[in-house]
Amino acid sequence: MIGFYRELEGSMRLAAHVLRRFWVLRLPPVAEELVRQIYFTGASATATIVIRGALVGTLIIAYVIEVLNADASLAVKILLWVVLREIGPLIAAVLVIQRSGTAVATELALMKISGEVASLRHMRIDPRDYLVVPRVVGIALANTALTVYVQFIAVGGGMLLSALVIDASLGEMAGSFFLLASPLDLVYSVAKSLLFGAAIGLIACYYGLNPPGSSINAVPKAAISAVTQATLAVMLLNVVFAYLVYGSALFGLFTADL
Amino acid sequence: MSAAADVALGYEPHAGGTGGEGRLWIAPGGSHVVPAISAAFKAALLAAVLELKPSKDARVVVLGAEVDALPPRARAALRAQVAFLPANGGLISNLNGWENIALPVGYHAPKRLVALAPEVYAMLEQFGAQPRPLLARLPEDMTLYERKLAGYVRMRLGRPKLVLAEDLGGGLGPGERRRAAGFADAYLADCPEGTFIQLEDVPDESG
Repeated sequence: MIGFYRELEGSMRLAAHVLRRFWVLRLPPVAEELVRQIYFTGASATATIVIRGALVGTLIIAYVIEVLNADASLAVKILLWVVLREIGPLIAAVLVIQRSGTAVATELALMKISGEVASLRHMRIDPRDYLVVPRVVGIALANTALTVYVQFIAVGGGMLLSALVIDASLGEMAGSFFLLASPLDLVYSVAKSLLFGAAIGLIACYYGLNPPGSSINAVPKAAISAVTQATLAVMLLNVVFAYLVYGSALFGLFTADL
Repeated sequence: MSAAADVALGYEPHAGGTGGEGRLWIAPGGSHVVPAISAAFKAALLAAVLELKPSKDARVVVLGAEVDALPPRARAALRAQVAFLPANGGLISNLNGWENIALPVGYHAPKRLVALAPEVYAMLEQFGAQPRPLLARLPEDMTLYERKLAGYVRMRLGRPKLVLAEDLGGGLGPGERRRAAGFADAYLADCPEGTFIQLEDVPDESG
């Protein structure tokens, strides 16, 4: 339990550092790290992540139609409520944890063990400025972009399948989808994705910079801790968001038209 | 006890403390070699000098200033005048030669980046390296000498007043060792008021 609080405090401190030192992204070496991180997490992962997103979106709609014997109206609601608001951000986050969370934790743990983090300190470069700020911001931005891709593909795939199975045209389904969807849906999923990405980045950086030992064995342990805790954090954040939207006074904002 | 004013680097552990055994007291200016330094003493010395925090274990004097007596802002200013060159060059493994060399300048003084290349090329050529291929390579594709040279060039760009170089000739062949021995002279030619200290390891007699 003490360990958990220490890790939570450490991550919170890192988060405070990122907010306080956001401006270091203007410095050329830090900006280069940011671009690298966005490329690695976002651009180079697009194909694999989008394919998985499309598969999951289609699968959910297939189940809904089969099990609930859904009509066009219910299929559209499921696409909006489940795929767009919940599954899209979650799938993107889980895939980013698998790919970038492990990579960042491993990279930083290796840098720490091999003395490269100390080398940054010797150059009077704060490792949190150079390593943490661009990774957290980069993962948050890339995760948001990936979420939009996943949502687009998953909703599109779901609609296409629904149109094939249910007695409704694709145009009709798209029409009722856009009638139900509001700009707040976009705000909601962007806010969620940014927060998910930032949490993944912070947790991966925290465990990477604090490996449980100074031998090479500490590297996989750091990666495992980062993946486990980042997944937990994303699930918890999702619950908080769900409560705010579905379980409180804000509910009406998102569901007025349903 | 010696007066601090005429000292470039002073390190004197307090009796009974954990600051290691031994004593180092080096006058300002010129090149100095500290031979056969134990790993424990070197670790304590480097921690004290590179962190520049008040220590209850040792008296630390850097560039004529008692570290214990300095306020934090003055310690930070003093630290900016001290550079450390690790035995392996201290490069970052996922950055190429140029990115490694330009890293501290880009972080501390980004405006200097535009005029940096000629200075870097000149220093690399002075020590027998071909700048273009060296700057494009990752540290894992460099020889130990090239890594030390890249670390040295990076250190020089910071224009420090005090340089601590760890085991400068360690692991090098005779030709490379001769070239590396010129690092101190080149630094002092550029910065006559500076002090270059080489910390040599205890010779390995295990075989």
